[in-house]
Amino acid sequence: MVTRDDVLKIAKLAKLSVEDEEIDALTKDMIEIIEFANAINNAVEDAELEDFDDINSVVNAFHEDEVVESFDRELILKNRDGGEDGYFLVKNRLTR
Amino acid sequence: MSRIKYLNHLLATKQISCVELTEKYLKEIEKENKTLNAYVKVTDEAALDTAKKVDEKISKGEPLMPLEGIPMTLKDNISTKDIETTCCSKILEGYVPIYDATVWEILKSQNAVLLGKTNMDEFAMGSSCETSYFGGALNPHDTSHVAGGSSGGVASAVGGNIAVYGLGSDTGGSIRQPASFCGLVGLKPTYGAVSRYGLIAYASSFDQIGPIASSVEDAAIVYDAISLYDEKDATSCGSRYKAYDVLANSIKGMKIGIVKEYFEGIRDDIKASIEEAAKVYEELGAEMVYFNIPELKYALPVYYILACAEASSNLGRYDGIRYGYRTSNYRDINDMICKTRSEGFGREVKRRIMLGTYVLSAGYYDAYYKKAQKLRGAILKAFKNAFRKCDVILAPTVPTTAFELNFTAKDPVETYLTDICTVPVNIAGLPAVSIPCGFDSEGLPIGMQLIGDSFREDKILNAAYQYEQCTADRIYKKLEIGVRL
Repeated sequence: MVTRDDVLKIAKLAKLSVEDEEIDALTKDMIEIIEFANAINNAVEDAELEDFDDINSVVNAFHEDEVVESFDRELILKNRDGGEDGYFLVKNRLTR
Repeated sequence: MSRIKYLNHLLATKQISCVELTEKYLKEIEKENKTLNAYVKVTDEAALDTAKKVDEKISKGEPLMPLEGIPMTLKDNISTKDIETTCCSKILEGYVPIYDATVWEILKSQNAVLLGKTNMDEFAMGSSCETSYFGGALNPHDTSHVAGGSSGGVASAVGGNIAVYGLGSDTGGSIRQPASFCGLVGLKPTYGAVSRYGLIAYASSFDQIGPIASSVEDAAIVYDAISLYDEKDATSCGSRYKAYDVLANSIKGMKIGIVKEYFEGIRDDIKASIEEAAKVYEELGAEMVYFNIPELKYALPVYYILACAEASSNLGRYDGIRYGYRTSNYRDINDMICKTRSEGFGREVKRRIMLGTYVLSAGYYDAYYKKAQKLRGAILKAFKNAFRKCDVILAPTVPTTAFELNFTAKDPVETYLTDICTVPVNIAGLPAVSIPCGFDSEGLPIGMQLIGDSFREDKILNAAYQYEQCTADRIYKKLEIGVRL
């Protein structure tokens, strides 16, 4: 059974911060969802099942290792107000 | 005649100009979208620019391509260069792609007139369109009901006659379910038939782009146009059989499978509608074959485990660093990422990321993810065996008709259960089309599904077209809204 602590642990792994008032509702949802997912554990034994590979059995789609035109740095930074000096800007992590 | 063919004819014979046609649609969008909430962005300037280009071609007497000048829409998870693409999530508010999805590149090269981007459940996670950051799209048949999801906006727009057709995406039923709710045709192609390049990923091994249209003919025209091999998508195959040319073929002797498991827990009136359809098929000379696929009982949990696992990884990219929403108050990078994600994602998206993280985490991976993958293989194998017995499978699309508003307020598992008839196809990567097959006592459309073996879109669309030809007057309802053709 999923506990409050499990929910906090999963949230941390998923890089989500959960507010105190959200924990109970989220735990309740997770208990229900995991119980629903458990249906597969009543299924046939593992040993009777084969490994699954790919839907269309497509093998690796390789192409020649050639340099092709890519996106302009300026264009990529457009979605973050143009960035600064060609980089994405975030707050200082280290102080001098 | 299908709408696309009819409009193509009107344009080519100069009975209407493309600018006039586009303006007509834009005017009706302005009027109807206030209620339907189908569009989250209207691209009027770009639409009129394309229309002018088409008119120039017509004035020079140049022949038109099948989709040229036809006003259409794209679900808001299909990347459009220089046009905001949000997946209806706060976390992508203001995000403007710097490249086009391949499907849009193809349609753009045909001068398709993009009217705007349409509403959807946030990151395509939902069955009612109500998890959208912009509020849900409503059902044009009855606005006290949802349009369905996740491609609810496309269905609402096409059903409400404010787009001729649209492209949606289907991960667990997101094209077929809203098509069914809005009385339309929705095609989920074979996995790999249509390029996913530029489709913002939910669950990459399940996602497929496909058309929602008002007739089988229109769906086939669009499918044939977009199902091309694309080197930018490593899983791309392109189509193997074109669909449009075989629509009119006789289906005499075609074997149609009825699988018992698809009818468990289905509302009686829907069951009856599909039994009616089976009779029509028998009259058309098809042979019904009855059998079981017991593996289908695992389809729902298998789908939710695997799709959420893939989602938890795919949605890891939303960190607030490179694009989209970023929290304003934070201590350090980790705090920034956590706060951005918590403030930017809605509740259903967070739930699915958490489930996906759980089933992939140490100690649970074997019991959930690995086991579900093996069952995926078993379901695929069962379908492959089924297609030795029949050409297509006839099944309901949804156990009910359109939900009343505020459906997602219910508990999550109850919502997941309504996907029972649509998810098996995504698990096995098969093509399926939903077409209308009647109405319930409230006048809401009922849909049925035709499922085919991989890359046999030709067969399911052929069967759908043959049924449509002899039932059109009782499966379609002309709604007195939007552009009336």
